[in-house]
Amino acid sequence: MTPESLHRSTSPAKSPSRQRLWLGAIALGAVALLIGVALIGSDSPEAQPKGGAAAAAPGTRQGGPSGNGTATGLAGQGGAEQPREKGPRFTATTCWEGLEHFNEAVTLETFRAWAAPLLAARDPHVREYLRGRLAELIGNDEGRALEVLGWAKEAPPTEFKLLMGGLRQSKAIVLPRVGARLTELGLDESIEIERRAGFLDGLQHLPQLEPGALERLTRFARDPASGEAGWITTRSIGRVMKEDLTRTGNARPYLDKLFTIGTESPDEPVRYLALEMEMHADAPLDAQATERLARILATEGSEHIREVAAHDLSLAQDKARGLEIYAKAFEAEKDLCVRWALFRFAARAAGKAALPVMANMAITDPRFQGNYQDIARLYASGVVDFDRIWFGLPDQNPHGCLDKHDD
Amino acid sequence: MTRHFLSLDRISTLALTLCLLATPLASAAEPTSSASASDEPPTLKGGSCSVQGLMDQIRRGLGSKSEAYRLYLRTLLRESAVTLPLHELQAAFEREYDPVMAEHLAAALVARTERGLEPEAMARVAQRALEDRDPSIRAATVRAMRLTGALERTGDMYERLVRDPSPEVRREAATNLVEDNLKVYGGRHGPAVDAAVTAAVASSDSKVTAQIVGQLMTGEVSAESARKLEQLLRSDSAEVRAAASSALGGVPAAEMTRAREALLGMYRGEQDPTVRKAILQSIARLGFSGAVPELQRLRGVDPSLAPEIDAWIRVLEMDLQEWSLILREKQRLQQAR
Repeated sequence: MTPESLHRSTSPAKSPSRQRLWLGAIALGAVALLIGVALIGSDSPEAQPKGGAAAAAPGTRQGGPSGNGTATGLAGQGGAEQPREKGPRFTATTCWEGLEHFNEAVTLETFRAWAAPLLAARDPHVREYLRGRLAELIGNDEGRALEVLGWAKEAPPTEFKLLMGGLRQSKAIVLPRVGARLTELGLDESIEIERRAGFLDGLQHLPQLEPGALERLTRFARDPASGEAGWITTRSIGRVMKEDLTRTGNARPYLDKLFTIGTESPDEPVRYLALEMEMHADAPLDAQATERLARILATEGSEHIREVAAHDLSLAQDKARGLEIYAKAFEAEKDLCVRWALFRFAARAAGKAALPVMANMAITDPRFQGNYQDIARLYASGVVDFDRIWFGLPDQNPHGCLDKHDD
Repeated sequence: MTRHFLSLDRISTLALTLCLLATPLASAAEPTSSASASDEPPTLKGGSCSVQGLMDQIRRGLGSKSEAYRLYLRTLLRESAVTLPLHELQAAFEREYDPVMAEHLAAALVARTERGLEPEAMARVAQRALEDRDPSIRAATVRAMRLTGALERTGDMYERLVRDPSPEVRREAATNLVEDNLKVYGGRHGPAVDAAVTAAVASSDSKVTAQIVGQLMTGEVSAESARKLEQLLRSDSAEVRAAASSALGGVPAAEMTRAREALLGMYRGEQDPTVRKAILQSIARLGFSGAVPELQRLRGVDPSLAPEIDAWIRVLEMDLQEWSLILREKQRLQQAR
């Protein structure tokens, strides 16, 4: 698995209760990535940890802004001090003569030709700079963005990644005609699938998806022939949903399509991701969405997907119906980790009111007796919210489910 | 090296600045069309980096209108730091008195420590943050330690920095404490939260105290720190009282009852509406739907806050189980008004 796959398959964490689910996502994302997407910018800034609060596992510390160097080079020149004999080893950086002139004089018209030798040098820092500089050259100009998209259609893979990286960082990425063109290129069957995935990846930055585009993207995402591009498309739909939900309070059109993908795609990683996107958006579920999750819990063959469905169900607006579904699914469920998800997310759905249902679960499966007693004790002590319940547990991995997913 | 040499650096920086001001302003996106020579592709040649070469490049690049280029130079120095000679980096840092350049060099030294090389590199930066005579240099070196492990490596540095005579230094230190807690430690590292609370209490600058306390996640705070937060409820500064009220809303389970009692006891006597709003929010946070009766009882205390209380009651009655979901709904309700 590559660091990028970690990025692709996970979104920032909000609650440690979701760690296990993310690990599941990582596993499934890795499967998806075995297909390989050479054109989506493995060195894109998105693929790098941002050091954001949400990216850190609670109670743990991330490294500083610089990651450890890993490769071969040692010290710089001119009598450089050698790192300690058994200390870390670092890759030497490259300083570019002429880059200052490049920076001051480059235009959109000269960018491709001038950037070519820098791009060929495989210097990650200068590539990052080139993406940023291209974004500045595009600015908020629709015409320039469309021109770059035109280049990207034919560009060799490395340059394609640069062009799309620059476009993604530009202000123009959210402009309606740019979004429309990205959709058009992403769904263009005459283009090779890896390149289409790169275009579809750009859609995640849009503030919203129009109904027609959403419909076409959904059809593509659930098509078995879409492969990795279908996975990328699903992620883009989910990320736009989160943005639109924050802005307008309405996630329903997206959720409907994601649950369609989550039910109908033949690819397990795609189905998993479709349901995982609801988890990241925390979109409230109406009666229809709640019933769709009930069906998924009853019929889905993958335990990973049943787990993420159990999480999603905790946002059901009809809490009584949610608890009914949890109880029924627990009875029918054989997998310990899915049962653990059903058990704990019942508390996230209804709080203290879930205790009778959880008590019954613990009678059905005595392995949950201790968990029930811990949670009941916390509620009795006056704790009212799921976060404090979770952090108050003596062990957040009592059934070894994290380890199972780590395998 | 001495300040004598540094003053030369300052002159060169000033000269560069004046040159840039004399240049017609160009957009960051495009060079001026008059730059006909710019049609010539640059001769690009990659080579190894040196401290002096990087410093020269950065000094010139400071005037660039391209944010991407400035970021590149900053990153390049920091990433190069581990392979550059330590003594050269340290010497450059010691003799640098341009705050921007000093910040770059300090960040490079800090990066060495962060990446497993000598601890003394960061120690030198911390020393200068505490002792340099120029407050803008102290502030710059404090910024260089942001989003690093400095909180754990520098002893009582932050307690001292929040008492610095310069408000700028105090503010930068407060920003580090808040951002490190949230972004480096994920908001759930007890010792880091406690260190921030200790520093906040140590400061006599109420704005700094409020800045720190008002933005901390307090879910892992110790009992001792919870007591300190309660003491801040009696501050003369309304800003501090509001911040402490907010902070008490997030305390761990063992501290909830005491925090709720402290806030309820304070509400009736409090006159500042901002503080009262913060208290209401924390009462909501500590009780969720169970706070509704308490909020209803407080409704008559200050009629001007009755709509605020009603909004909280409406959201809490949705019976959501996570604070982030409750806050989201409250914000939506406010937007819909």
